[in-house]
This record gives sequence, structure tokens and C-alpha cells, in this order.
Amino acid sequence: MSGAPSMEVRAMGLSFNSPVLCASGTFGYGREFAGLCDFSRLGGLVTKGVSLEPRAGNPPPRICETASGMLNSIGLQNVGLAAFIADKLPFLRDCGTRVLVNIFGETPEDYVRCAEGLGGQRGVDALEVNISCPNVEAGGIEFGVEPQMAGELVRQICGATDLPVVVKLTPNVTDIVPIARACVEAGADGLSLINTLKGMAIDARTGRPRLARRFGGLSGPAIKPVALRMVWQVAQAGLGVPVLGIGGICTGEDAAEFLLAGATLVQVGTANFIGPDAAARTAMELERFCDEHWPDLPSVAGLAGRLA
Amino acid sequence: MPREYFTAHLTDSRELGVGYRLLTLGGCAALAASRPGQFVMLRGPWGRDPVLPRAYSILSADGERARFLVQRVGRGSNLLADAAVGEPITVLGPLGNGFPEPEASDTVSLLVAGGCGLPPLHLAATRAAEVRRGAQIELLQGTRSSGQLLSPLLDELRARELRLWIATEDGSAGERGLVTQLLQRRLEHLHPGPCRVLACGPTAMLRAVREVARQHGVQCLLSLEAEMACGLGACLGCAVEAPGSGYVHVCSDGPVFDGEEVWP
Repeated sequence: MSGAPSMEVRAMGLSFNSPVLCASGTFGYGREFAGLCDFSRLGGLVTKGVSLEPRAGNPPPRICETASGMLNSIGLQNVGLAAFIADKLPFLRDCGTRVLVNIFGETPEDYVRCAEGLGGQRGVDALEVNISCPNVEAGGIEFGVEPQMAGELVRQICGATDLPVVVKLTPNVTDIVPIARACVEAGADGLSLINTLKGMAIDARTGRPRLARRFGGLSGPAIKPVALRMVWQVAQAGLGVPVLGIGGICTGEDAAEFLLAGATLVQVGTANFIGPDAAARTAMELERFCDEHWPDLPSVAGLAGRLA
Repeated sequence: MPREYFTAHLTDSRELGVGYRLLTLGGCAALAASRPGQFVMLRGPWGRDPVLPRAYSILSADGERARFLVQRVGRGSNLLADAAVGEPITVLGPLGNGFPEPEASDTVSLLVAGGCGLPPLHLAATRAAEVRRGAQIELLQGTRSSGQLLSPLLDELRARELRLWIATEDGSAGERGLVTQLLQRRLEHLHPGPCRVLACGPTAMLRAVREVARQHGVQCLLSLEAEMACGLGACLGCAVEAPGSGYVHVCSDGPVFDGEEVWP
């Protein structure tokens, strides 16, 4: 083959300019990165999680750095659905890339009303559902840790929207595959994984936890091996929906590893904090990497699942 | 001034008192029109660890050259302090709001610096002196001891038309005591003329500065620090409690806040 490989990917009935997207919670509502990241290089962006009502978030300190990563306990602070549609969506409609709106709630009804509110909104290409939230109607157990509860939630959301529904899976489970399967059987059009790993950091000099809420979500390069393993496991299960691989991706070569493990798309998360152009740069690097190391592939999509 | 993300190079690095390093970066034309109080995110060629850039106030920005004061605190600051001349440093900025201009030209601006809180106030003093307009500036620097005084930076300000006051807790330089006691006396002296207080330093000092300003019915503008990942209002990590319910964010709502906007 000569020339750069095609970066275009089709998934969930949508075409993406590139397999590289920006992960929820690391790219704001897009506008924060305007002028600093070339959106046309991206496959899309996933918004900061949106809930039915605004949320103030957790007390500080909310973040701390760890070895090759960081912990966060932001507390899902967000402007709420109405303000998202009124104030954030207009920019996203014309931002030049696909927009997946990440939604979450405390009850199934919250999720459903969010999904209904976003249906028919121009500029929303798909929903990404964060199921790593406590279900207040079930004693605070997270929706995403139990197959039946996850499946029932996804079934209700899929019944409430015509948009493609991607379910974002938590890695804080014994076996991720039955949960992935339950979500797909309930109608999920795609699976994104992994969300952050639950962790903790301590300041031994002061004897205090580094985060006000003690626990936080670990992200960044430190979690990449865990993410690759789980993406591979879910891809191997052959569930028939695309996998969006997330976890510590900083370079084009990292992205290629996720595609080889079976991801159709990938998301750049914490690396957006290293520099605001990280996702666009990752997309360009992926193109060069494939051209150099996989010259026979006409398309980067061809990397998917080629792990020996 | 639009924010830019670019690679600069370290052109000079020198010790500035114990634990402090003064870094000069070349290739920073994008910062030339920064407002005093604005900041940047700096990161060296660190690979994947530490992962995050570090937030620094702009000490000066002239043409291609910008300077930053680095206090050795943890991994990131030590890596920056130990960076070799010529090393590439990525810069994201200018970020944040910066200090507003005084409303009336006869207002006396009292700049209160605690420890390494000097940089944004240094830039505010320098810019105000350049613009002149009869700007009345007094800079009050407080440290624990004379060893922590950033003398070369203070000497730069001595060359300007401003009054410089120093307080050390052990009395080894200037007046013995806290910088807030100095502030108290200056405000009493200047009463009832128009004044405002601009401050940067440790949180405990900023809270005390706010109390003193309140007692005198004077506006106070505080430049805050917080751990942050992005500097852009995306990660929402740099939350500070605000009166009422909810939070403000140091990077996108600040780093400069009216004293009444933070800490209920």
C-alpha cells in the first residue's frame, strides 16, 4: 500500500473521521478546548456527564496526582440537562466533530428523563451512559456492578430514545463480561470501557487522605494494562457491538494497542490534561503509526482485533 | 488575549533564595499581553510521569521572554527547578482572569505578598508603574525570615515608583510581625482615602487579609492557588467553596476573586 491509511470508522450507524475520541470528564463541554485542539482530527467528543438536575460536586481537595496517573472525586459536578441544552449544546452543534452526550442519574427515572430530553436535539449523535453511579433506590449499590440491574437500566434507557446508546462500564467488578453481555442484550449499541478504577491516596506527613472524599477514580497511563485486558475480554466475548477502549491512552501507539485488543474506537482521557491537543495529536500519530508499522492495511479500522 | 498551547525553551534558571528558582523561558510571545494575575500550565518532557502540568503565575512577560518563580514543593516543581537550560517546556496560557484595574486613578493599591505569592503582584506593580497615570502602589511583602525574601525581585521593584514594606516573623528584616499587621497599619494611615487590597499567598494569610480589609471597608482581591489538572475549566478539580451553596473554580472563575466571593 502507498499513502496514509484511511482513518474513517463506521460504528453504531455513524461514521467517524477518526477512531480517536475525547473521554467524558476530560474535555468539558468541548468549548473549553476551542482553538487549542483541532476538532476536525477527532472522531468525536464525549461531554462531561449530564444529569437531570445540576450538581455542585464534592468538597475539595478533589484531585491528586499519583504515579503515572491521577485520582479524582469531582462528584459529577455539572450544569444539569436544561442548562446543557440551552448553554452548552449550541457550541457543540457546529464544533466539527461527533458529539456523544454522557448521562447519569441516581434512579432509572433520572436516566430515562435525561435520555428523553436529549432525543431529537440537533447536535447530539449518541448517548454514553455512565452506569458507575449509586442506585439510590437499591441502597446505593452501583448500577454497573450487577448484570441484572445494569441490564434493566439499559433496557429502560434504550426504550426511551432513538439515539445510539453506548454504555460505559466500570472496571470495579469481579467479571466485566457478564455485565457487558447484559447491557448488549438489553439493547446497548456500544460499550465503552473502562471507567476509572477506585483508589485512594494518603499524605503520610499530615496523616490525612489526599481527597476530601477519601476515595477517587484512578485514571491515566497507570491504568492502561487493566483497560487493555478488559477491552480484550469484552471484545473476545463477541457481543456484536463496537467497543470504545479507554484507559491511559497518550499516544498513537497506545491507541493502536487498544484497536489490536478489539476496540473499534478509542477515547483519550487524562492525556487531555497533559496538553489540550492530546487527542488530535494521538489521531495523527495513529495514522503515522499504522502507515509505518502496518503498511498493508488500507484503513486503521483494519487493526481491530488483529492481536496474535 | 487568546490562550495558546506552545513549546518554549528554558533560557535561564537561577537560585533565588533557599528553595526558590527563577526560570526564564524564551519563545513566549503569546504571553506578552498577559494581565497581572494570569497564569500558565507548565510541563517539561516528562513522558508519562508525572502526568499533569503545573500551574504558575506569570511573573513577567516581555516580548519573547517570560519569567516564573518556582518553589521546590513536590515532584513537578523539582523537575522544573532542575530543568537544564535549553530544555523544552510546554506552556498553556495565558489563563484565568487576572487583577482588574482600579476604578479610580487616585486609588492606592496595597499589594500584599506572602512568601512566594509575589509574582502576580510583582507583575501588577510593574505594569501599573509603566502605565503610571499617577498610579499609587504600595507592596507589602511578608515572610518567616529574611532568608525567604526574594531580594532580586524586590530590588527590581525598588527601582520603580512604589513604596515597599517588609515584615518578617522573626524580625530579621523589615518589621517584626505578620504582613497582615503591616497591612492594618497602612490602612489606618491611609484612611479615609480610596484604597484597595490585592493579595497572594498562603490561604491562612489570605483569610486574614480579607478580615483586615473588611474591618476597613476596603475591597480586597485575592489570587488563589489550588491543585488543578487542566487550567481550562474542564476537569473541575480546583474547586473552592463559595458563599451560599456550591463552588467556584480557581482556573476558570479566578484565580483572582473578590474576597466576598470565596470561603463562606
